Amino acid sequence: MKFVVSSSELLYHLQAVSRVVSNKSTIPILENILFELGEGKLTITASDLESTMVTSMALDNIEGDGTIALPAKILLETLKKFPEQPITFDIAMDTKKVDIITDKGKFSVIGLDGDEFPEIPSIDADKASRLQVPASLALSGINKTLFATADDELRPVMNGILIEMSPENLTFVASDSHKLVRYQRTDATTEFTSSFILPKKPASFLKNVLVKEDGDISIEFDDKNAFFQMENHQLVCRLVEGNYPSYNAVIPQDNPNKIIINRQEVVNSLGRVSLFSNQASNLVKLSIDGDDLMVSAQDIDFSISAYEKLSCQYDGEPIEIGFKSAFLAELLDNISSEDVVMELADPARAGIFLPVDNEGPEDELMLLMPMMINA
Amino acid sequence: MNQEENIQQEENKVRKIIHIDMDAFFASVEQRDFPELKGKAIVVGSPSLRGVIAAASYEARKFGVRSAMPSQTALKKCPQLIFQNHRFDVYKAVSKQVMDILHDYTDLVEPLSIDEAFLDVTTNKKNLRSATLIAQEIRQRIKEETQLTASAGISVNKFVAKIASDQNKPDGVFVIKPNEVVPFIEKLPIKEFFGVGKKTAEKMNKLGIYTGKDLQAWSLNGLVRSFGKVGNFFYSISRGVDDRPVRPNRTRKSVGIENTFYEDLNTDEERLEQLNVLIDGLWNRSARRDIYGRTLTLKVKFSDFIQQTHSKTLLNKLTLKDEIASIAKQLMQEVKFDKKVRLMGLSISNLEGEETNSQPVQLTIDFD
Repeated sequence: MKFVVSSSELLYHLQAVSRVVSNKSTIPILENILFELGEGKLTITASDLESTMVTSMALDNIEGDGTIALPAKILLETLKKFPEQPITFDIAMDTKKVDIITDKGKFSVIGLDGDEFPEIPSIDADKASRLQVPASLALSGINKTLFATADDELRPVMNGILIEMSPENLTFVASDSHKLVRYQRTDATTEFTSSFILPKKPASFLKNVLVKEDGDISIEFDDKNAFFQMENHQLVCRLVEGNYPSYNAVIPQDNPNKIIINRQEVVNSLGRVSLFSNQASNLVKLSIDGDDLMVSAQDIDFSISAYEKLSCQYDGEPIEIGFKSAFLAELLDNISSEDVVMELADPARAGIFLPVDNEGPEDELMLLMPMMINA
Repeated sequence: MNQEENIQQEENKVRKIIHIDMDAFFASVEQRDFPELKGKAIVVGSPSLRGVIAAASYEARKFGVRSAMPSQTALKKCPQLIFQNHRFDVYKAVSKQVMDILHDYTDLVEPLSIDEAFLDVTTNKKNLRSATLIAQEIRQRIKEETQLTASAGISVNKFVAKIASDQNKPDGVFVIKPNEVVPFIEKLPIKEFFGVGKKTAEKMNKLGIYTGKDLQAWSLNGLVRSFGKVGNFFYSISRGVDDRPVRPNRTRKSVGIENTFYEDLNTDEERLEQLNVLIDGLWNRSARRDIYGRTLTLKVKFSDFIQQTHSKTLLNKLTLKDEIASIAKQLMQEVKFDKKVRLMGLSISNLEGEETNSQPVQLTIDFD
């Protein structure tokens, strides 16, 4: 078989799927990308067994059809170095020899039999649920929550994003048990109530291609796999099996002390003050008294300390609470509004962080457990 | 301010610390009370198969006999070695006599053990300006009142004073003046550093650190990276800096119990039985004195004297016997028992109110 393709367009498509390719797979064929020629298009597939990403491009200049698996790394590295030009793939199906013919020369590799590539799992139609949302909405959901997923071998459910759908809303939840994010959209509902847990790896693959998508994303899932169909990409992935902990129960409803802070100001201050925190604990203290917010840190071992006074809006009793600086900064970085409402109860209970304009179809909530100075 | 006043000021800042160390204490008490032992290689301890030497006379040390050495090893080194049973009541009484003498000079006396103590004599009850003079007086009085000898180290801080007392042992005095501290430490082999154990010394040697001067070449960050928190201490002492005050009421750091067995333990049942004995004993000591800590440590010494310790630190102090028992059993499961067990010990540390208690703790969400 033979086809002619624009080098930059091919690179664009390969890069979309190449993140799925693992470099140290136990199955050698997974270090390859599957090329499938037929019906006037080239379909490109990469898989790590857990996730499979597919993209395709229409081509005019095609001879024959069939499949072949090509080594991903060398292909990508070479394509990156080509100036834009039409290149010809000439594949001898019997010997699997692949000649990549350019303006100036020829690059030859040996491919593998495309039939050896693992089959894409299919969704069990009897058990399947389906929903369709704008790609941008799915992207926000993943963007807001991915950072809060855990790396916990003992509790795999925590290593993914819980996606819950209901007639009221669509909810994305992630937690590593220090922090928790709940992102809800009332503008995406389903007639049924269901949920699945999307592992963090395919979630990040999805995040990567959703940026390139405009239209809708259709999601079909059963109890084992989910199938994401976008205009230009498809992703099939295995889901995390098990039950997500009941996250709503751990979100305090009535934290009495509400403080409005300027998000960027606090993030910047944390960046400076936390350099003076103990390296092991990374503890910063927030002391709020009226409209003063003091951010402070110290490292007794090295006798260094720092504080900064910022302004905030607060009219309750003075309160002090400690947080791991890196956690707090990361969390604030992921809130979209300029001002953030911080709802606190006491130094030993979860703090809640909300965008000040938490209205409309978006409902965003972040929770962070404090650090106790004396446990 | 004129120059003289300036010097006076400087002098006022420098502390005068004495380390008093009784010479071969237990063995010397025995030789004092049983004159026929004078001049002989004697040890305090039991010659039994499982005995360990508590103290050795200088005559015995010439044969390479050391405290903490198994009696059988010591006998091989010195077949004519005389074993004396210990008489702790006597040692305690003598120790008290010595400590009383020290208290005549200052209340800043910090006993390190039964036979050694630090004194801060920067200001003292006798208004003596010379620490050397005080040390000589103390040694003279100890000799008169107890017929025993003590060595003294004098310098500007605890670390250097402690090392100094070892320099002219026995029955000697060694002074390291403020301007001699740094050159002295530079020359000092790392294994003689007070606070550097065998393991740390080995690690330092591997890193090319053999003397104080080698240690000085390291940055604070480098030391902290390689040795953790104690790297701070190494950084300071290599420069002769040790600001630790002499603390008259040394607070207890741990409470523990250990047993050397008559016969090495070989089965799970035996080990569990002995562990239960230790748990009972530890609980008695802990509860009776109302001492509770957050860290439980299990020590196991095998028949070949190789020792392992396993410990677990909890968020809250251990106040229940059942808790101690269950953690002790967990710890025991971490030990690989491929050899017979000679000794087991159990201790609680990280006691309430200690500074280390204030390590901040990241709280977690309580999912059910």
